[in-house]
Amino acid sequence: MEITVRDEGDTKVVMLNGKLDTNTTPAAEGEINALLDAGASKLLINFEQLSYISSSGLRLLLALAKRMKGFGGDLKVCALNEMATEVFEVSGFGSILNVFASEADALAAS
Amino acid sequence: MIVREQSRFRLCWDTIILALALLSCVLIPYQLAFVHKTSAVSNGLLFAISLMFLADIGLNFFTTFRRAGSEIRDPTEIRKHYLKGHFAIDLLANFPLGMLFWLAGDPQVAGFSIVLWVRLLTLLRMVRFFVILRRWESLSWTHPGYLRVFKYLGVILIFTHCIACLWFAVAYVDGFPQDSWVVSAGIESADPVSQYVRSLYWTITTMTTVGYGDISPGRTVEYLLGILIMLMGASLYAFVIGGVASLLSNLQAAKNSYREHIESVETYLRARRVPHHLSTQVHDYFEYLWDRHKGLNEPHLLRDLPDSLRLEIILHLARDVLERVPLFRHCSPPLRNALLSALEPATYAPGNFLAREGEVGRSIVFVIRGEVEIVTGEETIVHGVMGPGDYFGYLSLALKERRSGSVRARDYCETLVLEQDSYEALSADYPEFLEALKAVSAERSEQASELLLAGVVL
Repeated sequence: MEITVRDEGDTKVVMLNGKLDTNTTPAAEGEINALLDAGASKLLINFEQLSYISSSGLRLLLALAKRMKGFGGDLKVCALNEMATEVFEVSGFGSILNVFASEADALAAS
Repeated sequence: MIVREQSRFRLCWDTIILALALLSCVLIPYQLAFVHKTSAVSNGLLFAISLMFLADIGLNFFTTFRRAGSEIRDPTEIRKHYLKGHFAIDLLANFPLGMLFWLAGDPQVAGFSIVLWVRLLTLLRMVRFFVILRRWESLSWTHPGYLRVFKYLGVILIFTHCIACLWFAVAYVDGFPQDSWVVSAGIESADPVSQYVRSLYWTITTMTTVGYGDISPGRTVEYLLGILIMLMGASLYAFVIGGVASLLSNLQAAKNSYREHIESVETYLRARRVPHHLSTQVHDYFEYLWDRHKGLNEPHLLRDLPDSLRLEIILHLARDVLERVPLFRHCSPPLRNALLSALEPATYAPGNFLAREGEVGRSIVFVIRGEVEIVTGEETIVHGVMGPGDYFGYLSLALKERRSGSVRARDYCETLVLEQDSYEALSADYPEFLEALKAVSAERSEQASELLLAGVVL
């Protein structure tokens, strides 16, 4: 699991590469929480390079959404693969998270 | 014009004709044996009844009938069928011959009005009684067993009544000789009702082989008739009572069979020393199944039906499920039909687990009736309750993960289970299935996210 962070304007774009499962989620969670602790309020998580997401990955996203909603932050996710899109929507999480087809769409919606 | 044999009109008409057939078979022998003469009132009444039966003959030429399970509606076929069938008997039974003789001066034969003799032909109206009952037996909402009991009772009552009338008439024809049973019983001058009651009493005590002996034959003809009634009556009585007893027993056959099944399971549980509280649960579970479904295994029962007919029945049986489960409101009719055919019913007793923590989820479970609770950690922490219309199982099935929570029935629960194979086939054949699931999930996303945040994957 590889995590890269870059700035696009005032948005922190987090690129996840590999699998977001029980083993890798704690590291990703630590890194993203560190960004929020440092004052980031706009976060875009890009799933373009992500091959698999488990329930712990979903839980991370929901926890982030809940935390950022608490202080008025803006969390977006984009470029979900087919399986992840289906799981998001069929589980009902599509209505909790702002999901976009591509990074460009997500940034344009800022 | 065609009258459907199972139409409401024909049903009402048949009910009237059935009642009039029984009434005719009671009134006419009684009038012959105990009243002995006609009157304007009785003639008018019986003529009105005859008109009803003549109208019934006319109606029969336009009433559809069943052959090899199909309803024949072709008018020519209907006419041929009736003409070759019961038309001659119906005409003989209902042609107003009596009225013709009455208009011709009503001559006397053997001390009776000839009109009364001719009217005995109306006993053939009993044929309508059998025809109508046979028609009713083919109606889906009637219970053939109860109809057969009614038929047996009708036959035995009319037969007994006719024998009682004959028993008295034999003495009356000879002018009540001194050695006749009527004179011995001292009722030759009694009123007709008292005479009838005595005659009926003797008939029943003879037919049931009770035979108190307080009324007995006095002449050769009465002995002969007595022998005949003993032979025929006792045999018929035994036949009818045996038939009724067998039918009443069969009416309980399904329950008896179910009871035997329960008892065999309980015997097995006792032999294997299963704890009492578990065998009690099993017993209660079977009792619940009987109360709700009469112990019938619906999928098994419907298995032999063609797909389209089975689907019609499933749609009817599931009409309240279609209202209870929000998913169906988002389904197109073809998807709804496919989904109903794929879902398997399952029933759980209070405390039973619908899903257990640690097992791999291979099905989606829809709750139809009752409540379930989601528990973790030695089943002590309750994370939420689901009721009719809710479902679980999608996440672990889609993510191919083990369940991290258990689902336990709080009371008797009825569910529909969609197995993984069926889920995959439906998703592939009907892309709108996932859209329907999404629409339902959007309505319950809060609960789903709370569960996942608590680490519960179902």
